[in-house]
Parts: sequence; C-alpha cells; structure tokens
Amino acid sequence: MYHTYRSDLSQVRALVLQHAREAGLTEGRANDLVLAVSEVAANTLRHTRSSGTLAIWHDAEEIICEIHDAGTITDPLVGRRKPAPGASGGHGLWLVRQVCDLVELTSDADGTTVRMHMTLRPPGTAG
Amino acid sequence: MDLLTTSVATVESGSEPYTLVKLVGEADVTNSDALREVLDAEVAKQPRTLIIDLSGLRFMDSSALHVILRANRAMDREGGVVALASPRDPVAKMLRLTAADQLIPVFPSVSEAIAG
Repeated sequence: MYHTYRSDLSQVRALVLQHAREAGLTEGRANDLVLAVSEVAANTLRHTRSSGTLAIWHDAEEIICEIHDAGTITDPLVGRRKPAPGASGGHGLWLVRQVCDLVELTSDADGTTVRMHMTLRPPGTAG
Repeated sequence: MDLLTTSVATVESGSEPYTLVKLVGEADVTNSDALREVLDAEVAKQPRTLIIDLSGLRFMDSSALHVILRANRAMDREGGVVALASPRDPVAKMLRLTAADQLIPVFPSVSEAIAG
C-alpha cells in the first residue's frame, strides 16, 4: 500500500492502524506503530516543503512501514540519545526507536527513508 | 469536524479554584500551535492549578507534548501546578517513555487530580 501525504497525519495514522490490525498486531503494538509513523511523518511537515510517501506491507513475520521524504538528516545518532525530561525537542525519533522492534534510517542529499519494523510474533509469545 | 477541540472551564467549587482544559480528538504537529495559544491564554491568568483532561484524546505526538511541557514550565515559574488526568493507554505510554510523567503528575481521573 502506498499513500502520499502532505498535511493530513490523521489519515496516515488511520491507515497504519488499519493495516497493523489486519496484519495481526496486538492493539498496544499497533498503537506503538501508529505513534512511530506519525512522528516520522510529522518531521516531513516540519522539515520539508514537499509531500512524503508512506508504504506499508507485511509478511508472516513482520509488518513494515516506510516513510520517504525530501528531508536530510545529518546526525547519525538521531533518536539514539534519551532527551532530558522536559527537553523542548528530540522526543520524536527517540519515541520511534523506543516503540519499534527495528528502525532503519538512511539519509542523503536525495532524501530520507525511515523503515519501521514490528514483529508479528514477538519472542516469548505462543504460536 | 476539527481534529482537536479544546474546552476551558474555571471551576470554583471546593476550597481551591482550578482551571480545567479538556482536549478531545488528536493532538499533533498540525494543531500544536492552536493548542499552544489555548494553554498560553490560561497560563497567563496565573491559576494555581491547571488540570488537563486527556480522557478524550485519542492520540498525542511529541509536538503536543512539548506544548504541555512548555505550559508546565511557565506555570512552575509562577508557583502554579499542572496535572494531567485520565490519559488513554497510548498517551499514557508516551508520557512514560519521554519521562514527562516524572515532571508532570498524571492522575487516573480529574477528581483525583483535584485532590492532588
């Protein structure tokens, strides 16, 4: 599924929630993925003047949401440091890294791609 | 219908008056400026207690969190207190992950927030 967004993040979240449920994520982890994708898509609105694209797909093992936009991230450790409580920035990608099972981030002059993975059957669960 | 609606009440009942701001819908980067204006206006009135009722909030992102943290700092400077009431599970989780719940007390209900 591909979706182009410019400012309607509510629609982005609704699409992620619908696909996460269909893929079989639990409600809590579906909401985690919704938060992660919304935070990344919010960066498109904050840091670029163009639209972004959302792709969602899943197989038996995991669901993946990929956001691509024209922005460039230069900090290789972005989102890896815990912001101080009350910090006035830096929470977005920190949250993304906290709630997702795996985050792949590539960025260069052509744009930024963030791929967020959620395992459908986490270790320790039945089945 | 707006993605986020806010309603404000000044409640005089009991020993201490307080300001109650109720958020309904989804709070994100697209409406955080509007949320900031609402909270700034209430903080400027220097209430002793500002309670933000989150029970109707289906979603909150880091932009909205920053607006709330900013209001908390401003209230703190004036000797006032901010409390958050009845967040749904996803909102409660993001307050926990960002450690915002260590700066701003979170209560299961508005009545418990009033009791402090």
